[in-house]
Amino acid sequence: MNKPHLNRPQTATGVLLASLVLPGLAALAAITPLRAAAENAPEKTTIALKYGSYSDSQPGWDRVKATAPQVYVQAPIAGEWSIEASGVVDNVSGASPRWHTQHTQLSGASQMSDERKAGDVKVTRYLARAAVSASVAYSEEHDYISRALGLDARWSSDDNNRTWTMGYGTSSDRIDTTYSGGSVIDQHKRTHEFMGGVTQVLTPTDIAQLNFTRSIGEGYYNDPYKTLDQRPNQRDAWIALARWNHYLAQFDASVRSSYRYYSDTFGVQSHTAGVEWVQPAGRWTFTPGARYYSQSAANFYLDPILDAQGQYDQAAVFARAFSRIGSNQSTDQRLAAFGAVTLSMKVSYAFTPDTVVDVKYEVYHQTADLHLGSAGSPNLDPFNANFMQIGLTHRF
Amino acid sequence: MNRTILSLLAITTLSWLGGCSNLGQVNAWDKGNLAKPMMTFEGDPLDQRFVQHIYGSKENSSGGYGVGGGGCGCN
Repeated sequence: MNKPHLNRPQTATGVLLASLVLPGLAALAAITPLRAAAENAPEKTTIALKYGSYSDSQPGWDRVKATAPQVYVQAPIAGEWSIEASGVVDNVSGASPRWHTQHTQLSGASQMSDERKAGDVKVTRYLARAAVSASVAYSEEHDYISRALGLDARWSSDDNNRTWTMGYGTSSDRIDTTYSGGSVIDQHKRTHEFMGGVTQVLTPTDIAQLNFTRSIGEGYYNDPYKTLDQRPNQRDAWIALARWNHYLAQFDASVRSSYRYYSDTFGVQSHTAGVEWVQPAGRWTFTPGARYYSQSAANFYLDPILDAQGQYDQAAVFARAFSRIGSNQSTDQRLAAFGAVTLSMKVSYAFTPDTVVDVKYEVYHQTADLHLGSAGSPNLDPFNANFMQIGLTHRF
Repeated sequence: MNRTILSLLAITTLSWLGGCSNLGQVNAWDKGNLAKPMMTFEGDPLDQRFVQHIYGSKENSSGGYGVGGGGCGCN
């Protein structure tokens, strides 16, 4: 295919398009040399491995541990196409909370163990100044199966200073807990997502991105393992994402910042802000980061009830729940008003330009006191988690 | 109300950016630093998949970074 643009500097276009691609192709963008413009199919095959581990806790006891090995492969096809595939196996074990997450020892938490297997395949066609991708994804747990399809297109302006993107994704999920002794049989949930965005080169050291996503979901949203948990069967969301990367010439470093606004028909609004400093030093790269998150409570979330001694009053919570049968209600802490902070550090080392290893460690702290502007939901115990990842990327 | 405002903001902003032809006129030979890997928005996508999956299971909000991924029983 004739590509008249190939002789022009294209690196910035590569940056633009790389920043817009969907998760599967994004993997390509991060580990492919940026001298290859995103319109062009990659020249090399890439394999990336990542091993993630996770553990969380609340005061007095450890709750859940998880491991997640991931693999990603991407290969060029006939110079104008690429195919990517990835897979992950999540293993989760620990206590399964019921009712409010805090005081779960009083409210009958049970031990659980689960495995999730997920994979996706993506095919991309590269055009002169654009790229079009289609992807499929599949995820399976013993009580949950999800199938998803994604389509996206992106194209850049003549001067390569601006790239537009449009995307559509849909997923169809099935929930069935009979295998694990539950009572939820053959429930379904379907979601449609529409995304539009623009990425703009602002200055020789600044690039910004703005994306809007509309999500429309219908089906079964209850927690199948929480008795009397009743949520609306429609959940629509608006999401706005703004990102800005700034290059600091005096340090040969970059500052990557982002802000996300989220609002859905459950009544939850949230703000997410993140910042990273990327500092190369020879073969090493150091990336410290921080993230802040705050959400309001869903309009059907119910606070814990405490007795006169300040202890969790399970009888009163049950009584309230039974009195509200037929109405939407949930005691899921994830629907409460709270805030959270994450601190992270990532270190990577390049043995060669084509072989890189990395380690990342993150500390997550969630509490009602961190809710933006005011106190969050009352009587929530703090929640803490640690994540660690080890990765290897190789091209040949 | 908030959703209406956000809808209008989305349409207005995207339209404005589309019609603002003078914004960010940077020459190709000035984009060398923008092409460095540290300037990509996604960073390390496998890393982000793992982390976003965790956030999606511990917080109400998820999404906004792309479309096409499937759901899970974690949330």
